[in-house]
This record gives sequence, C-alpha cells and structure tokens, in this order.
Amino acid sequence: MTMKTVSARTILITGANGHLGRAIAEAFLEESPENRLWLGVHRRREHADKLAAAQAGRCRVVSLDVTQPESWQAAVTEILGAPSRRLDVLVNNAGAHDDAFLAQMKPASWRDILAVNLDGVFHGCRAVLPAMISQHGGRIINIASLSALLAPPGQTNYAAAKAGVVSLTQSLAKEVARIGITVNAVCPGYLDSEMLAEMDEAARQRALAQIPMRRFGKPEEVAAAVRFLACPQAAYITGSALKIDGGIL
Amino acid sequence: MTNPDELKAQIKRMLVENLMLQIKPEDIGDDQPLFGPGGLGLDSVDALQLVVALDKNYGLKIPDADAARGILQSVNSIVHAITITEP
Repeated sequence: MTMKTVSARTILITGANGHLGRAIAEAFLEESPENRLWLGVHRRREHADKLAAAQAGRCRVVSLDVTQPESWQAAVTEILGAPSRRLDVLVNNAGAHDDAFLAQMKPASWRDILAVNLDGVFHGCRAVLPAMISQHGGRIINIASLSALLAPPGQTNYAAAKAGVVSLTQSLAKEVARIGITVNAVCPGYLDSEMLAEMDEAARQRALAQIPMRRFGKPEEVAAAVRFLACPQAAYITGSALKIDGGIL
Repeated sequence: MTNPDELKAQIKRMLVENLMLQIKPEDIGDDQPLFGPGGLGLDSVDALQLVVALDKNYGLKIPDADAARGILQSVNSIVHAITITEP
C-alpha cells in the first residue's frame, strides 16, 4: 500500500495555551514543516505565545472566546485572510470544568460549563463550515471526554456537555460526509495535565486504581490520535468517538 | 449589473461544478425545479453547499430554511434573488 503524503494544511486549535492544546500543536508541527498552525487562546496565552515565537512563520496566536460567535467569525476571517486562504483542520480543544454535586451546583456553573464545552463546539463548527464546504473538504476533531461515556458523580455539567459534544459529532458527521468533511471526537480519560494537577494525592491514587494500565495518559498520546484523525489515511473515519483511557471503559 | 442570461449561465455552471452533477449546464432549464419530483433531484446537503457557494460568489445571504425554500426553487429564482440584492 502506498502511503499518501501529508500536504501543507492550515490548522486551528482552540484552548492552545493548555497542556493538551500545546501537545496537539506540537504533533501537527512535527507532521509537516509545511503545516500552518493557529493557536486559539482566550484568558491565558503565555505558553502559546512562547510556542509561536519559537515557531515563527509556522505558528500564530489568535484571540478566541469560543463562547462568542462574533469572536469565532473574527478569528476565522483573520485565518482566511492569511496567505494560504484555507482552513483545513479545526480541533475544538478548549474546555473547562467546575465540579460539584448537582444539589450544590450553582446554575451559573451549569451554564458556564455548557457554554465553553458544548456551545463552543457548536459555534466553532458553524464558523468553519462555510470555508470547508467551499474547499470540498476538511477535518473537525472535537475533544470530548471519557466523562461523556462514563459519567462520574460531581460532573453533571461537564459530563452532559461532553456527551453533547459526542452526539453533535455523530450528527454533524452525517450532514457533511458527502462533502468530504470528517467530524470525529476523542474521549480522553485521566491525563497528566492541568486537571490532574488540581487533584489531591488521595484522589490521584483513587483515579489511578481505576485505570487497568495503572498510569495516567500523556497529552502526547491524545495528540497522536488527533493527528491521525486529521491525516489522509483516516479519510473514511467519521462520526466516531475514540476513547483514550488506558482501558477504563 | 450582470446580464441576466450570463448570470443564468453562471448559476448553471456553479450547480454542475459545485454539486458534481452528471449533466451539462445547458441541460438545466431556467424554471426547472432544483428539488423534488421532476426536478434536478437535489437534496438538503446540496442545498447546504449551494447556500455557501451563493454567499461566496455573489454575496447572497440565505439566513434560514424558509428563505432557502423560496430562493432555491430554480435557476430563475436564484437569479432573481441575486439581482434584487445587487448594489
């Protein structure tokens, strides 16, 4: 079998200041020297700025509040105004959590978590689809969570949002399949990233005990799956939700 | 303002090229329905691509499904919509 080479692509990654977002960016930078990356950032941008400075000419930072359709329009307009005039891959990675039992959960927490994790994906897909439809092709990869498939207590907002992302992925995949656009989700379990750093040692040990591999996942392992779903060899995969969890589910 | 006959020809070429129709542009009738029986047999995914192409090529905004039903009836209805929104 002759492997198709990966040609130059323009890729937008949201939540690119975080550990997973940066790992995804590094994976696409490694994939091809021709790839052009846009790092979507909102409140914090120090790590994304550092990466863009180190990869000048290949990486740019763009301000993007994923909860605001106007912010998406401005970002996509800026990207399509760049020399490549394309947008080939969108990775909806921006996310947030605010865990509490539902009985104690403030309505604002419910709304905020749905806004970032689910509304953000909706607005993002709406913003990039006209360009991808015009190009007759594109890749959308949504970062969901194992919580979408195996909802834990204390995450009704986050789990509902991520389950919504999986359903959105499946439905949208069917809508645009014929146009050459694939839409997939990945569902990471416990990753050695910011979320894990917030857990105390006892909680970390309880989490570890649930994982058959007896280790936490690495952001780079999720990034590799994202890069694969965006590569030419994955053209027939759409509407999937790939769990990356060390065997929990 | 674009000549109406030239605009019709452009729209027919756009239909064939964007939707990869297996017919020649000149075989599409000006009033031939784009959807439904007796028409070109387009479906909702074709409509989605048409909406994007009309916005990109002619700046024609089709904001919702109701507007799409009115505008995307035929080549003539599309040309009419473009003509009345031209500056």
